[in-house]
Amino acid sequence: MSYLDLIHLRKAFDETVAVKDFNLQVEKGEFVSLLGPSGCGKTTTLRMIAGFEIPDNGSIVLSGEEITSIPSNQRGMGMVFQSYALFPNMTAWSNIAFGLRVHRVSTAEIKRRVNELLDLVGLSDDGHKFASELSGGQQQRVALARALAIEPRVLLLDEPLSALDAVVRVALRNEIRRIQSALGITTIYVTHDQEEALSISDRVVVMRQAEIEQEGTPEEIYIQPQTPFVATFVGTINQFEGILKDSERGLVSCCGGELELSITPDAAAGLSKGEALTVFVRPEEVLVGDAGSQDNSFQAVLRSVTLLGPVTRLNLELQGQTVYADIRTIDRHRYVLDKSVQMSFRRDSCRCMREGEALNENSAHH
Amino acid sequence: MKKRTFGPGIFIGGFLLYMLIPIVATYMFSVATRWDRTILPEGLTFEWYKTAFADRWFLIVFKHSLVISLSTVIASMVIIVPTAYWVHLRVPEARPILDFISTLPFAIPGVVLALGLIRLYARPPWMLARTPAMLVAAYVIFTMPFMYRPVVNSLKAVNIKVLTEAAQSLGSSWIRTLGQVILPNIMPGIISGGLLVFATIFGEFTIATFLVGARFKTFPMQLVYYTRRDGRIASAYSVISFSIAWVSSLVILWIATSWAKRSSSGGSVVGKDISSR
Repeated sequence: MSYLDLIHLRKAFDETVAVKDFNLQVEKGEFVSLLGPSGCGKTTTLRMIAGFEIPDNGSIVLSGEEITSIPSNQRGMGMVFQSYALFPNMTAWSNIAFGLRVHRVSTAEIKRRVNELLDLVGLSDDGHKFASELSGGQQQRVALARALAIEPRVLLLDEPLSALDAVVRVALRNEIRRIQSALGITTIYVTHDQEEALSISDRVVVMRQAEIEQEGTPEEIYIQPQTPFVATFVGTINQFEGILKDSERGLVSCCGGELELSITPDAAAGLSKGEALTVFVRPEEVLVGDAGSQDNSFQAVLRSVTLLGPVTRLNLELQGQTVYADIRTIDRHRYVLDKSVQMSFRRDSCRCMREGEALNENSAHH
Repeated sequence: MKKRTFGPGIFIGGFLLYMLIPIVATYMFSVATRWDRTILPEGLTFEWYKTAFADRWFLIVFKHSLVISLSTVIASMVIIVPTAYWVHLRVPEARPILDFISTLPFAIPGVVLALGLIRLYARPPWMLARTPAMLVAAYVIFTMPFMYRPVVNSLKAVNIKVLTEAAQSLGSSWIRTLGQVILPNIMPGIISGGLLVFATIFGEFTIATFLVGARFKTFPMQLVYYTRRDGRIASAYSVISFSIAWVSSLVILWIATSWAKRSSSGGSVVGKDISSR
């Protein structure tokens, strides 16, 4: 049995099913992210763990103890909210001390703990300030310290960085991970930002329409998506719809026969000749220029260029279809708009899926 | 150069005159020796205030009105604040009902309310008619909008749902959450509501006369009594009554602005409360 067990959780609001038969095991000290678009049920799941929503069905077991119907104020869960939710009438110091006072910790101990926590979140000099005198990032640090003060059995974070600026967001997410690792605290993190989820989690649970779509390590989620939804929701991906022409040689006919793709026979396993499928290729697997691969090599036309930072995304037109290719930004001057370019990708970088399922044999399934 | 226009000045000036003349006249009348034969008062005197204060009834009615007003404020807070909080937190779908109920006192004339209450409570098992307690009960109903509106606006300004959940997750009981987290954050609303209720009740005449009459004389009843005997003493009473209302308003304004300095969101809401009155 794991540390936190969510068993057959279900929750509906009136007619709308928010969470449908949710099962998850979380180990002690693990950092698990619930990732999905808004309305997928990730926040409702978190709120059930916190005790703010009572599941219609199923149970929540925390280190062997059934807590499904225990009131939220007796669960010992630390919660961090998107809107920070600092008590506006208290200073940062008093906010952090609040939970300790509730738990009747001695004054000397409260003083020690609060100062330690302010130090941990890098706000040693700001304890006397009210929420209105702190920036968003600072407020969220205080909120994190406040949740950590009660030494929660599980730390729950509900889109804690969504209201912050991009720079602060990245800095604070790294800090959350650093503190989480240092304290070894079991953490459940809700986000709609796939980059955030991939960058800080031990494990990512992708949700869609009240159900788990896929769970796995960030690498598994990104490299081996199990469903078209995961493939397209997490990161950018090129899709080629086609028909399997030859399963032994791994040939797929796309764009009404104008384009022939070569995939590994493994990727096509389970499909019979003539069946419809979708081939997925990540933009970073698409190589541009002469140094490409021999497997799938085509002439395309460069239609537009998007600078993303260290990487630049080329928008190529291939047989009427858009193909994204990521190149190093320092190489961007080699390509000219509306000119023909050579593009290619290796056959083993292709993932194939039939309607709603993955077909790659070597993909790890959970 | 900016062109001068007199239009707005005329309107504002007209409005100020319309509002201020009766008040200034009352003040002047309360300190005038005589003001019925000349355009301006013939002389100035504090005689009417002295007479008012010397009347043995002055302290009695002042105390009665004070007790009734304060009791109403406290009863109103105790009943309305937790109700508004719970409805906002747990039964948000009932908010429109509460909003509607809170406007009913505006729709029901005081006389109707008073007579209805007497008919209902004068018989067993209540037997409350003509008691100060009943007057307080009636006033709580009568002034409900004044307390409810500012409190609700404050509740809306602070995200009470999230604050309550944050406190709960830290182990706080609901009573501690209400006392240490919610109340301090909606205090501007409660205080401005309380002062509006206080100022309204202190000068209320109709319901008091109907419900308790001469058995429990209040400040406005004594004022009305003097209007029939000596207008100048009545004016002195009016000025005292005004002053109490003004002091209340100043306190509301002061709280609103000092709160606005502390937190931008909370303060603006209190400001709205006052301007909507």
